[in-house]
Amino acid sequence: MPSAESSFSAQKFAGYGVAAVAAVLVLYPVFFLLQAALDVGDPQVRPPTAYGLDNFSGIFQYPQILLNTLTVSVAATVMSLVFGFVMAWILTRTNVPGRHLFEQLMAVPYYLTPLLGALAWSLLGSPESGFINQVWRALGGNDHLIDINTAYGIAWVMALFEGSVAFVMIAAVMKSMDPALEEASQIMGAGRLRTMLRITLPLVVPGVLGAAIFVFAEMLGSFAAALVLGTPSRYYVITTAIYQLVQQYPPKIQIAAAMGASLFAVMFFMLFLYRRIVMAGSYVTITGKAFRPRVADIGPLRYLLLGVCLLYLFAAVGLPLITLLYASLQKIAVAFPAADNWTLENFRIAVTMNAVRSALGNSLLLGFATATIGVVLMGLLAWLIYRSRLPGSGLIEYVVMFPQAVPRLVFAFGLMWAWVVFPIPIYGTLSLLLIAYLTVFLPLGVRTIAGVMLQIDKSLEECAQMCGASWAFRVRTVTIPLLVPGLVAAWLLLFIASIRELGASILLMGPHSKVITPSIVESWFGTSSELTAALALIQTLVVAIAMIVLVTITRRVGAHPVE
Amino acid sequence: MPPSPAPGSQVSPTPHIEVNGLELYYGSVPAVRGVSFNVLPGEQLTLLGPSGCGKTTTLRAIAGLEQPTAGEIRIDGVTVYSSQRGISIRAEKRGLSMVFQSYAIWPHMTVFENVAYGLRVRRKVAAEIAERVDRALEMVQMRNFASRRAAQLSGGQQQRVALARAFVFSPSVLLFDEPLSNLDAKLRADMRIELRELQHRLGITSVYVTHDLEEALAMSDRIVVMRDGLIEQTGTPDEIYRLPNSAFVADFVGSANLIRGRHRVDLDTDGLTALETSAGHIVYGMAYERAVGAELVVSVRTVHLRISTEPPAAMQNVWRVPVRQTVFQGDFTQVHLGWGEQHLIARCAAMEPLAAGQQVYIAVEPRHVVVLAG
Repeated sequence: MPSAESSFSAQKFAGYGVAAVAAVLVLYPVFFLLQAALDVGDPQVRPPTAYGLDNFSGIFQYPQILLNTLTVSVAATVMSLVFGFVMAWILTRTNVPGRHLFEQLMAVPYYLTPLLGALAWSLLGSPESGFINQVWRALGGNDHLIDINTAYGIAWVMALFEGSVAFVMIAAVMKSMDPALEEASQIMGAGRLRTMLRITLPLVVPGVLGAAIFVFAEMLGSFAAALVLGTPSRYYVITTAIYQLVQQYPPKIQIAAAMGASLFAVMFFMLFLYRRIVMAGSYVTITGKAFRPRVADIGPLRYLLLGVCLLYLFAAVGLPLITLLYASLQKIAVAFPAADNWTLENFRIAVTMNAVRSALGNSLLLGFATATIGVVLMGLLAWLIYRSRLPGSGLIEYVVMFPQAVPRLVFAFGLMWAWVVFPIPIYGTLSLLLIAYLTVFLPLGVRTIAGVMLQIDKSLEECAQMCGASWAFRVRTVTIPLLVPGLVAAWLLLFIASIRELGASILLMGPHSKVITPSIVESWFGTSSELTAALALIQTLVVAIAMIVLVTITRRVGAHPVE
Repeated sequence: MPPSPAPGSQVSPTPHIEVNGLELYYGSVPAVRGVSFNVLPGEQLTLLGPSGCGKTTTLRAIAGLEQPTAGEIRIDGVTVYSSQRGISIRAEKRGLSMVFQSYAIWPHMTVFENVAYGLRVRRKVAAEIAERVDRALEMVQMRNFASRRAAQLSGGQQQRVALARAFVFSPSVLLFDEPLSNLDAKLRADMRIELRELQHRLGITSVYVTHDLEEALAMSDRIVVMRDGLIEQTGTPDEIYRLPNSAFVADFVGSANLIRGRHRVDLDTDGLTALETSAGHIVYGMAYERAVGAELVVSVRTVHLRISTEPPAAMQNVWRVPVRQTVFQGDFTQVHLGWGEQHLIARCAAMEPLAAGQQVYIAVEPRHVVVLAG
């Protein structure tokens, strides 16, 4: 037995090593973002020659953009909350038929991505050629019935997808409410309405408010729907404006950086607020105990509510997919195609065209690399933050969760600016995209793995230690085998997220390192909507396959009792 | 390991575990505030106390799973932790073993693999592992379950596997963190006896943590009663039960009536200490060589109060009191009695039913009236 612990410890070495990697990944681009935002010197010269706040006041030269952003975000938030609340109420508190199935289906819109929805809804609702408007005119209507290329059109598409996020958050609050609280009210003689107003609502309010703030922050940073639907009518929100300012010639990097930094600050504040509300305000979620909520028998009304559920899922999932399929099978996408308009050509081009094949190949490669490296990195980080009790782990958690508050486009901007001056020529390569993905998906990966890790009783690891096993031996024989299902799930989630990534990729990909999602956008604006529809469906298929594997695995984990 | 010498024997051997001035703070919250005790070779020592008293923290500090704030821990004469000398040996290097409250059976391994773990860590050859695991499982009567997975075991079976896993690699010390608290009452009583027997057979030094008094009394050579991060009393189960030195111990270890009053030095006789309550009752008790102040608290166990309807023969400590209430509790009946301003509780086995308001005699022998320290 040694008389003193050696100063070198594998555990500390691994811990602080990974922490340092994470810190560099996150903070290096943020530093360059802030540097560019504060740079008021000659934009051609780096490092900056003068610093100041002029760029920030410069933002107010674009009042329209700020107004647009607010309009879209507020409208989308309100709609998402309505969708989320109604669906949560129906599925947790009424005896609507098939509610357990619906509850699982509610995750699907989230996996379908706003980009896919925007493409489909653009095909459906653009004022001239939109299918819905074609039908409208065929029925004798004038002009157009709906115009998707407006603030409310953008908000509608965003809300359809964010609605499933709002649903998850609000349903969690409703589920964690002890039904005894309502029953007590009724025992005291209060009627149903009074119970609803005086007990149920006040208990749910903090949770809904939290969801509102969270969703609003997400909406401020969202990019895809505004890009696809707003660009044709030159309707810009802050994210698309940043993209435009960076892409145009000459680029206005400094003002774009200031916009990015401001957006980042606002989102950071909102998410901070969200955490405060969730931690302090919600009396309901504190216990963390899942109750079986009281389900009201609503009689025949339940078939109406069933219709509401079906309608939402149809608008968010069914209709977009059908529309894309419908468009992808035509030469020129119209609502009433002639017999000779049908074709499989789009799919043939999609799988044979070199540009597409290389983009898809790159995306798959990046997906594998991101998921594989990510699982190791994020697994170690999760262990470091939630298990190691090494000093400073709380700070590392903050750093790791940081990208959550930064829109991926803004993060990519910082990365771009950071790596352009990096001595190793990494800019415009897949390696840079890999770095970007590993950074922006840190919160996703760490949270997924931590969720599984926290389920594993700590004493399982401590017991191995008491049996005399060294840290490395413990990790290999106990921690990792127990974590495997969670790690596989995290791997697939990271893979899916990489395949669908748009905001970061669109700024960072070079001409020889194209990936699939930005290519879909390029194809939309540059080639044809029919081919784009085919591409989007192929991407969806890849994601769907990964999803099915994921669900199968998580099911199996659920059946396997790990403490 | 030499077999355990009887507690209180002439020779006092070198302690196997020495804990000196142990303190442990979580931030600024104290969990252990300065605890010192020794464990002799082969001894079974129990840390007893209510939840939050610091007993589990103390155990985990010995194990090396918690980092103390101050103090010193020595095992087999080797300092494994010392705040002054900056020594802190990692848990896996301390040569101890532990049975966890949650059993911590690894769900991804079979029973055999679970038990073999400590031997594999020590790089034993396959034949030796098979032989020793087999013997360990035999000792806990789980030999037929070797190829089962943990998920297929009941709580009691998991407990046995955890036990076999803990001693199979012949550790120098076994630590138990409330190992029986997740079992149902009947199984707990059986396991208590089994554990005690096993501990004797192995002759292994052990430290046992529990909040269950019966468990502590039945299993320990010595008990350390803890409260709020400090030691209240250390002694054999008999000492702890018979001669509690504080109101807390008297009350926590079994149920006791605590009686306060003034010391009547003028009435002290033949080693008896006299006390007058505020209601004017004179109570004779024994100080057992403890210092006696002007204000006294004595403890009378509820089982030592005798109730009779006829006047008893004793001259001292006899009172005629009204029955307030009786509560039938199966093996005994709890009788609440009025006694001046306070009330007393007596537990009697198999008794004639008493009506509320009925007058009875209660008596207690002075040797059962224990004067509490300071």
